[in-house]
Amino acid sequence: MAKRERRVGYGWPVLLAIGVHIATLMLTIIKWPESEPDPTSSSVVQAALVRAETATDQPQQTEDSAPPASQPEEEDAQEPEESAPAESSEEPAPDSDAEVTDSAVEEAKAEAQRLQEEAQRAAEKRRQAEAEAEKRRQAEAEAEKRRQAEAEAEKRRQAEAAAEKKRQAEAERKRQEEAEAEKKRQAEAAAEKKRQAEAEAERKRQAEAAAEKKRQAEAEAERKRQQALAERAAQANNSSLDSMISDEEQSIANAKQASEAANGFKNLVRRYVEQSWNVPSNASSELRAIVRIQLLPTGELVSATITQSSGNSAFDHSVISAVEKAAPFREMRELDASVRGRFREFNLDFNPEDIR
Amino acid sequence: MNDSMSIPHLIMNASLIVQLVMLLLLAASIASWIIIFQRSIALRRAEKSYRDFEDRFWSGVDLNELYRDLPAEQESLGAEHVFRSGFREFNRLMPKTQSTDAVLEGVQRGQRVALSREEDRLQLHLTFLATVASASPYIGLFGTVWGIMGSFQSLSMAQQATLSTVAPWIAEALVATAMGLFAAIPAVIFYNRLSAHAGRLLGKYENFAEEFHAILHRNLQGRSEREAS
Repeated sequence: MAKRERRVGYGWPVLLAIGVHIATLMLTIIKWPESEPDPTSSSVVQAALVRAETATDQPQQTEDSAPPASQPEEEDAQEPEESAPAESSEEPAPDSDAEVTDSAVEEAKAEAQRLQEEAQRAAEKRRQAEAEAEKRRQAEAEAEKRRQAEAEAEKRRQAEAAAEKKRQAEAERKRQEEAEAEKKRQAEAAAEKKRQAEAEAERKRQAEAAAEKKRQAEAEAERKRQQALAERAAQANNSSLDSMISDEEQSIANAKQASEAANGFKNLVRRYVEQSWNVPSNASSELRAIVRIQLLPTGELVSATITQSSGNSAFDHSVISAVEKAAPFREMRELDASVRGRFREFNLDFNPEDIR
Repeated sequence: MNDSMSIPHLIMNASLIVQLVMLLLLAASIASWIIIFQRSIALRRAEKSYRDFEDRFWSGVDLNELYRDLPAEQESLGAEHVFRSGFREFNRLMPKTQSTDAVLEGVQRGQRVALSREEDRLQLHLTFLATVASASPYIGLFGTVWGIMGSFQSLSMAQQATLSTVAPWIAEALVATAMGLFAAIPAVIFYNRLSAHAGRLLGKYENFAEEFHAILHRNLQGRSEREAS
């Protein structure tokens, strides 16, 4: 037996360990669902309790009230019996018969009074008990009412919380909608700005074209004047002063011609590029790209890069390929060295409207 | 609290790795509790049997008789084991040698072997408790970190991050840490308690061995003096 005691097996420890874990698991599981149906279950239980108390109270009260009613009768019945032995015991002394009877009567009266008092006291007690029971019942009813009110308040609070949540959700939705509307408005504003910028550019371009035309007209007029002057100079060939003046005027005309040539070169380049430009079919008139072109003095293309993208990559690509196709610009060699320097690097504006 | 935040619901909805971590922690917890119960019972019985044996030993019984009364097999444990191995050595050496020192040395050696065996037996599995105590919080933390990582990954998909979208994930992840602590705390407490208990018992065994050794020494001393006279 001693040996068996010393060896400690693992059966009991395993059972105990699993028991500990199941107990803790139960604690965690049971605790959670309990909190939820708390109000309903408690109210049901309390209602049942109240009914049970009232049901048991009434029989008790009737039982309480019954004995006092029967007791006086019994005591009444006992009274003659009691007085009879008293009379019988007092019979051996007939001398004091009247006194005895008197005292007996008095005793009986006192007895009756005592009984009455007792009855009154019992009635009093009964009334008090009833009042107490009544009070208790009222208190219970009040407690019940309070509990119901609390439950109702709880329900109302929950409903309010739900309404609050709904309102919050609605506010959230409204805020999102507003944010969307705001975004849309911003996008519209951006589009508007873009359109205005484009219109501005268009106007500028037109103004440039008008200025260009004016300048050409002026140059034409100047040339005519110079021809006239030259004719006049030829006519008045003998005057050295005249020749000096004409020299000066010629140099001015040369400068003018150079600028004209420069303009002409730019127009030429534009024309070449436009000719070799395959405008994408989906390109709208709103698209606009500015290309930076770098040229060698011989007119070879060094690079063409987009400085302001149109946003449409196909359009940008077509622009670049048009410039590459149009190069080289051999007319560059015919330009004056001073003018040529200006065209080593320049920007070209592309817009489908220019062609159509 | 709605139903989706209850602990079983959280465990069922956790990701696979977090669930594996939880399973590991549960297994560690069960194993450590098995050891806690087994060791507690074993140590209590060992202490009780030691007290019984000590009472018998000091009750003035003849040592030869006591030796014969004890179970003859290797089953004897605790102080009985120490006594048995010492006395057996004493009985074997007595007829063979006249030297008191040799006999006493043999007795001491036998007792030392028995004591080290007893130590081994008393501290069986206690290292496992220490391992659970130190490792399971880290395992739980790993589960939590993994769960929170997952929660942030899924949070990046969401349009807006309110507390109600983050909270369930984090609560789910924290269950792993809770389980780690649940496994670790009893393991720490009972490791300290049980190892202290085992150490105390071992000290008692050693004291007993010394006392027994003193008794044998006294007897031998008396005998050698008798022989000398």
